[in-house]
Amino acid sequence: MIALLEGIVRGLGVGSVYALLALGFVIIYKATRVISFAQPALMLAGVVLVSHLAGPLGFWVALPLAALLTAVLALGIERGAVRPMVGRPAFVVAIITLGVDVAIRVVVNIFIGLDVRNVHDPWGLDSWRIGALQVQQRHVAAFLATALLVAALFAFFRFTRMGLAMRAAADDQEAALAQGVSVGAVFALSWALAGALAAVGGTFATAGVSFDGNLWLTALVALPVIILGGLDSLPGAVLGGLGVGVAQELVATYQNDMPWLGGNVSVITPYVLMLLVLLVRPYGLFGTREVERV
Amino acid sequence: MKRLASGAVVVLLAVALGGCRGSDAETGESGVKVDVGVTSEPCPEAVNKEKGCIYLGILSDLTEGPFRALAVPITDAQKAFWKRVNNNGGIGDYEVDVTKYIRDNKYNPQVTNQVYQEIKPNILALAQTLGSPTTAAILPDMKSNNVVGSPAAWTSAYAFEDVIIESGANYCIESMNALDYAAETYKPKKVMAVHLAGDYGDDAAAGAKLASEKLGFTFSDVKTDTGTDKQAGAIGALLSQQPDVVILTMGPADAAAVVGGAAARGFKGRFIGTSPTWNPALLQSPAGPALTALYEQSGPWGSWGTDTPGHKAMRDALPGKTPSDGYTSGWIWSYPMKAALEKANSNGDLTRAGMLAAVKQLSSVDYEGMLPTGAGNYAGGAQGTFRQTQISKVDAAAPTGVSPVRPLFEGPTAKAFTLDKPCFEQL
Repeated sequence: MIALLEGIVRGLGVGSVYALLALGFVIIYKATRVISFAQPALMLAGVVLVSHLAGPLGFWVALPLAALLTAVLALGIERGAVRPMVGRPAFVVAIITLGVDVAIRVVVNIFIGLDVRNVHDPWGLDSWRIGALQVQQRHVAAFLATALLVAALFAFFRFTRMGLAMRAAADDQEAALAQGVSVGAVFALSWALAGALAAVGGTFATAGVSFDGNLWLTALVALPVIILGGLDSLPGAVLGGLGVGVAQELVATYQNDMPWLGGNVSVITPYVLMLLVLLVRPYGLFGTREVERV
Repeated sequence: MKRLASGAVVVLLAVALGGCRGSDAETGESGVKVDVGVTSEPCPEAVNKEKGCIYLGILSDLTEGPFRALAVPITDAQKAFWKRVNNNGGIGDYEVDVTKYIRDNKYNPQVTNQVYQEIKPNILALAQTLGSPTTAAILPDMKSNNVVGSPAAWTSAYAFEDVIIESGANYCIESMNALDYAAETYKPKKVMAVHLAGDYGDDAAAGAKLASEKLGFTFSDVKTDTGTDKQAGAIGALLSQQPDVVILTMGPADAAAVVGGAAARGFKGRFIGTSPTWNPALLQSPAGPALTALYEQSGPWGSWGTDTPGHKAMRDALPGKTPSDGYTSGWIWSYPMKAALEKANSNGDLTRAGMLAAVKQLSSVDYEGMLPTGAGNYAGGAQGTFRQTQISKVDAAAPTGVSPVRPLFEGPTAKAFTLDKPCFEQL
């Protein structure tokens, strides 16, 4: 029972990271109908920034500053590489983001250097003990930070003019344009938000561990998360992320009792879960059902 | 139809003749036979413009692959090594260039084959081919074209390949020595290998398995994947099975995630990681205290700060560099290539076939003390493979964060072991 509860807590921590990363993908997809494959590179850039800034400025200044700078970088990508492609097939733009991802990672790798790096987070591997239950602080921190950011995001979309504009543009771009919504600003803001979320998500993914250039692979777990949550659903990204995190940790906890499953099966859990969900709900748990006339 | 057939014959003949032209041996002014990758013109960065040039290729993981942090210093050390060789007079009437044909293999077998084919017509041999899956992709071609290569990997499969001039004990032998050391020091009952799949991790795990059978330990092996977020399963296995000693084969960030993550949840067993599991910056990581308390490193040779003439020459040739054992490895891996070139030159045959013949004549390589006398016995085949390992402990004061607890030794298990096929096939 203790192992189960500890697994759930760890899963919520890990799942929070997936949720933040998945939110970035979904926000860009909702605004532009493109899956941005540049998210892994943005995450890596954000984490590298935190690792460099946390030394002189401290973690609490470094994290928001790095999120801001990553948002600016994402904005730059949107203006430089994506905006000129407006009107082209979404597939073409997605492939461009793939190229951008590789290019940014090559540059960011230079700033990683030859040693592994740390984000100097305040939690490290410290734990709290609640009775027999051991809870790692980094997992609680990731969950709380995600809860806070998700609440802020939902408030932004619900209560601000820009949030309303973004929802309108996501709903029907031409109608929004006709109503005076600046769709360009919506594109830009969605990329900036995704960049900042990637930086924060990546930082919590590396809390308590070290990282090297391979960190970008972590962001790819967000892909099954967004598919099973629903490509265009923000609640889907959050719940999908948390669900995948918990499922993954529970499988990791118990996979040794089931050797017939094969080695390290927890790694493929997100993909298996995605397949199972798609069998029942082809548009994901919360995705919009698309009706196409044939 | 007849015309078509005769046309095809002409094309085939042209291709065949063109192919042969690359391997036509010529004899240089000094009477040394040469073919591909050796020119009478000086090297681009020649020390002595009177000398010809031997071109060696480097295929390494230089930009975006997973072993970049090791590959870049390995490559830098090799550039410095050959610069020193040239400054000391080169190889006979030639100097050696390793800068013109450096290519990024991205640790990807397809990319490796592509860039290898690109540089193959211009190089005599490969000063570096990094990674076992990548080298496996070009090995058949290397064998059919007599292209000798220094690998940047330690799989036991290389003991069976004439064209590969490996240095140091392979992972399989290294794990055997690590467990001989552990048997004396920690008297374990249960041993676990936590490792990546493929012939890096599988080779070490196989060595641990074979040694465990010999030493009477209960053995289990747990495969894991690259990525700090993918170690939860390995940590779970450690906590549920509670081994006394764990042999680790993975990258440094992953190793720290396993050691730190397991220790944070109360694991108290010992870890011995193969050399790529260590990085000095891990001392500053959250896993630093756990690594200091529980981790030791097995390695094929002494680290950066070791006191031998070869280590000193390396440090002198790389001024201002932050110490890294990537440099040590790159430097050591170059000695057999130098020995093979010298042997081929003294045989009067610097052709590719001449290089391979020279390699088969090498029964010892002078590593300037970095490896002991007797290392580099390629004439001895698989049984001539070098079998010594060093065990180091975490030491914040040492240049690369580790200092030896047991200098190079050959344990009884490795000594008695008959290497008759690659170890990873026996896991």
